[in-house]
Amino acid sequence: MSAPILELVGLKKSYGSQEVLRGVELRVRPAELVCVIGPSGSGKSTMLRCCNRLEEPSSGQVVVDGQDITRPDTDINRVRQSVGMVFQHFNLYPHLSALENVTLALRRVQKKDRAQAEAIARDALTQVGLGHKADAFPAQLSGGQQQRVGIARAIALKPKVMLFDEPTSALDPELVDEVLRVMRALREGGMTMLVVTHEMAFAHAVADRVVFMDGGVVAEQGTPAEVFENPREARTRSFIGRYMDAKSASPA
Amino acid sequence: MDSIIENFFNLEIYRQVLPYLLNGLWTTIWLSVIVIPLGAIAGLLLALGQTQSGSRWVRWTVIAYVDFFRAFPPLVLLIFLYFGLPFLGGDVPKLAAVVIAFVLNNASYFCEVFRAGIQAVHKGQMEAARSTGLTRMQALRYVVLPQAVRNVMPDLLGNCIEVVKLTTIASVVGMPELLRAARDTQSLVYNPSPIVLAALLYLVMLWPLTRVLASLEKRRTGMAGH
Amino acid sequence: MNEANSGFLFTFFNPAVAAQYWHEIARGMVVTIGVGAATVVTGVAAGLVLALARATGRAWLRLPVVLFSDITRSLPPLVIIILLYFGLPALGMPLSSFTSTWLSLSLVLAAYAQESIWAGLSSLPKGQMEAARSTGLGWWQAMRWVLLPQALRRAVPPLTNRVIATTKNTALGSVVALSEILSTAQASAAVAGNPTPLTVGAFLYLLVFLPLVFVARTLEHRSSNRN
Repeated sequence: MSAPILELVGLKKSYGSQEVLRGVELRVRPAELVCVIGPSGSGKSTMLRCCNRLEEPSSGQVVVDGQDITRPDTDINRVRQSVGMVFQHFNLYPHLSALENVTLALRRVQKKDRAQAEAIARDALTQVGLGHKADAFPAQLSGGQQQRVGIARAIALKPKVMLFDEPTSALDPELVDEVLRVMRALREGGMTMLVVTHEMAFAHAVADRVVFMDGGVVAEQGTPAEVFENPREARTRSFIGRYMDAKSASPA
Repeated sequence: MDSIIENFFNLEIYRQVLPYLLNGLWTTIWLSVIVIPLGAIAGLLLALGQTQSGSRWVRWTVIAYVDFFRAFPPLVLLIFLYFGLPFLGGDVPKLAAVVIAFVLNNASYFCEVFRAGIQAVHKGQMEAARSTGLTRMQALRYVVLPQAVRNVMPDLLGNCIEVVKLTTIASVVGMPELLRAARDTQSLVYNPSPIVLAALLYLVMLWPLTRVLASLEKRRTGMAGH
Repeated sequence: MNEANSGFLFTFFNPAVAAQYWHEIARGMVVTIGVGAATVVTGVAAGLVLALARATGRAWLRLPVVLFSDITRSLPPLVIIILLYFGLPALGMPLSSFTSTWLSLSLVLAAYAQESIWAGLSSLPKGQMEAARSTGLGWWQAMRWVLLPQALRRAVPPLTNRVIATTKNTALGSVVALSEILSTAQASAAVAGNPTPLTVGAFLYLLVFLPLVFVARTLEHRSSNRN
């Protein structure tokens, strides 16, 4: 059993009097794809955003590759190079081309020179199937393409773990597949991935482990087979219910 | 510190000059009250000319007018009219020169504001209105203009604030508004306090309006802001 | 009527008077351009710094900026100029008419520039800063490469209008004896006993500012087309 790349220990987060995370415990091992599912308001996104401190935890620890990044003396910018993030609304920089979106951090944070940065960027874009769109601007790309550029932007920095915050929720249904395909390919390449998603079929088929969150804590976790076909908790069952019904109704 | 109070916040002098300044403030207010509606109506007519007219000449004339008065400093315009109008014959009251200069200048800014508001209203609005049988005039009056005005409410208010600030220029030709009163009393008491008091009066008048303007703008762009 | 008409033309468009005094007024134009250019540089630069200070979110930076911006935008520019020129000598800090005019107008432009740039920054989706920070960019780097380029582009239309309005106010410097176009024109007109120099001055103002207005219109067009 290898040491976890990402570990959440007793993670709590409150906004004023409202407690959103009530002590989350989670471990993500190298090359694992962990899918986090759960109802709205369960704190999934907040938990994910604490992993790279876009949200500051109220208490508890986030340990990335052995380093406790919640300590005040952490160089958070350095840490964020090892923790990649893909956003629900893509958040591409509209004034920069796809290539420039990817090279920005390579040049300004990792201090690579222009030629080096562009080579890495083109490589990342090719990996997500958009090598031919390097000079396009976000406004000229479809939602699925924009999200894939977002993925390229994150993987170009060669992170140790990738965080996905509902990566397909803002996409038209016919564009969802191209993004899921890229995510599967990433996983096959050995990337460690923590994915918050509503795509139950994806979680069921591809995840190594599924985590069900409810009310600010991890209510249940296990392999997809365990969680989807044999949930222990009643609330898991009712959440999964609709998906499993639809699945059994239609030929798989 | 003492010299600051003595020279800028001299309460004794404040007491002495306040009546004069209040007279001047009154002039500032009614001057603004005259200019704003005139400028707004003229600006609206110009904007309608620019956006609704089929004739290229009408549109270009309006644009030329607006660009001319955007490029021409209002003080220079005032001096020109003030010294120039008497030459066209007759005894032209000082007030006329001031009001004409201000309205000419301000109408161009109101025109730009209204134009932007009208153009921001979706073309489909006019089409929908006409398709129910409304005439062009009615469509403008009941459908397009109400939305246009709501679009640019902050800018309209901003322009009104600008008119009040513009009135200080009239002090140069001896119009007895607030700044003139301040400068006259300043030369009598040999102390800059009247000017500071005038500044405070402008602040009392305009700062609340500026805050209202800021909140109107926040509502328009729907930002949380600081 | 004819006599009055030709009288009007002869009075305001007298070629002889124009020829005699136009270099004087042209020298005033240099001052107008000088004060205007200096104001634009310092005003916009200061406005940018203030907007950034406000963007840090720290109250001790934000509140003074908002206070300064509110007060400065609520005062007529002429009042500020007169306050500086006639008021400061009482504190033993006399300012020249050039400095009073330039400083006052810069303060005013800085306040408006700050508002426009700040509005541009606030209108950006929060995700932009998040995405930039998530790739390891520091706060300032994110501002410099991601947020400010977008914000400045959005600030261009209101900013160009404000720049024109502020630089036109260099004419107010004539009230405190700045030898720009208006005051030299007025002085020449007084000496000549004829208002033609004022007409010359008016033409020179148009010469300086109409190009700015055209540039502003083009910039507005371009940024609205892009949006």
